[in-house]
Amino acid sequence: MPTIKEIKNQLSNKNISVQELYNVYYDKAKKSKLNSFNHLLDPEYNKENINSSQARYNEGKDLSLDGIPLGIKDLFCTKGVPTTASSKILEKFIPEYESHVTQNLLNDGSLFLGKNNCDEFAMGSSNETSFFGPVINPWKNKNNTDSQLVPGGSSGGSASAVAEGICVASIGTDTGGSIRQPASLCGVVGLKPTFGSCSRWGVVAFASSLDQAGPITNSVEDAAYLLNSISSHDPNDSTCSNHKRENFLEGVGKGFDRPITVGIPSDYLKDINSDIAEQIENTKKHLSKLNVNIVDVEFTTTDFALSTYYIIAPAEASSNLARYDGIRYGYRGCGNTLEEIYVNSRSEGFGEEVIRRILIGTYVLSAGYYDAYYRKAQKVRKLIKNDFQRIYNEVDFILTPTTPNEAFQIGEKLDPISMYMNDIFTVPTSLAGLPAISLPSGLSKNGLPLGIQLIGNYFQEKSLLQMASLLEKEFCFNE
Amino acid sequence: MSDINIKKVSYLAKLELNEEKAALYEKSLSEIIEWVDNLKKLDTEGVEPLHNITEKSQNLRNDEVLKENSTEQVLSNAPEKAQNFFRVPKVVE
Repeated sequence: MPTIKEIKNQLSNKNISVQELYNVYYDKAKKSKLNSFNHLLDPEYNKENINSSQARYNEGKDLSLDGIPLGIKDLFCTKGVPTTASSKILEKFIPEYESHVTQNLLNDGSLFLGKNNCDEFAMGSSNETSFFGPVINPWKNKNNTDSQLVPGGSSGGSASAVAEGICVASIGTDTGGSIRQPASLCGVVGLKPTFGSCSRWGVVAFASSLDQAGPITNSVEDAAYLLNSISSHDPNDSTCSNHKRENFLEGVGKGFDRPITVGIPSDYLKDINSDIAEQIENTKKHLSKLNVNIVDVEFTTTDFALSTYYIIAPAEASSNLARYDGIRYGYRGCGNTLEEIYVNSRSEGFGEEVIRRILIGTYVLSAGYYDAYYRKAQKVRKLIKNDFQRIYNEVDFILTPTTPNEAFQIGEKLDPISMYMNDIFTVPTSLAGLPAISLPSGLSKNGLPLGIQLIGNYFQEKSLLQMASLLEKEFCFNE
Repeated sequence: MSDINIKKVSYLAKLELNEEKAALYEKSLSEIIEWVDNLKKLDTEGVEPLHNITEKSQNLRNDEVLKENSTEQVLSNAPEKAQNFFRVPKVVE
């Protein structure tokens, strides 16, 4: 797959025009059978943007993402373009404004190919909860080529589309692993930045203390290109940090001029299968070649992370999704009274998993249970954060698997708890708010992609991308 | 087993579940609540609950009125509207 830099060179050298490039991707996306887009934007719709991008190339004044066709997870409000969160309740919703993140991408010259399918309200780990049907992973199990596999979730459409090569890159969101897990299962790169790096303004809210936008790409360098664009302060999101952002491309491909230590948490590796263990062993060898010190570390809170997450995230979701009442926007059910409209709109508009999470959240926040569950989980979250901080006194990065397994079959996991277990390695990082990247590291015995997760310290995305780029070169996954 | 009253929880969430769905969700919620109950094993005496992960003060902006949307734009996605208003059933007798 060509990188953003390579495509930009082609455009600068007039080997291809912005229009031709857009048409190539649009035609591929239109023919795709993997259901990774909820909505495609045809070349006519983007005509004006295509022309102004071409004009900038003609003058040699191209912007950082000029002419690059991107997918956008259907959770970002895009002005005048349907934004559904893959839910029936927002099926006909057309925002009157642009999210901060997508506005940044437009300001940098990129073109939106369309809106990527995802789990409904980003609640899921397999992209099977979407109102518009499941997304299919472009990879096939070599020992069972007839079966269709999930791309992971919730940013499953983004990961599938990038892996299939029908968009150059995509912007997803990650609450408990929704960028990293699908990236791992589709063999692409997925970065969840530090909480507070990117504005949540205009992103359909799931769990506000966890939600974060981030890139899904074919290379670490592409991730740095996109992060440069999307990470910026926004007065409309009070949790969005106002520190000056670094140029994340600067470290990519360069060695470190200081000794680096990577910690591997032994408690993460207790029950992993042989495919996953091989990825970690293999990564250790490459790290040794790169003269990185490897140390064993041990968390004390890992066994409690999923429980903490499945209290906090549904609690915030139940509160955030209270706004869908059928009055101001979204689906309205029938009713002769306000109460009937509220109840019918919500009961008919939300899908099964979203209802489950709203019910969990309502329960843990209800009178008599708040202290036992929600407040308790917030205290454990503090212990999880402390646990990471203790370990970051000794190491620069933490290495873990991204997922406990390879991509599974569509319809295979029916029990919610076994689905929630998919995020066992990604959730602790989310609760701590730390940046983490999933990098394709190799293939399973069934020939399916697997990833490793590198976790950095707060706002250390530049060195995290640098470390990831060195490992990427070692893995040679794309070759 | 936990003591989940699914009728009460769904009432609070403004969701209506038929008998069959209510039974399914009650079972599912009981299992999930039992699963997350392992937190009780952790001693959190004296631990301050974490609300904001960065634990820095939030970046507040001045409370100034901005005119970013027209009435038309605000109403553009309304399921039902009348003149410059969202339309709902009569709420007062």
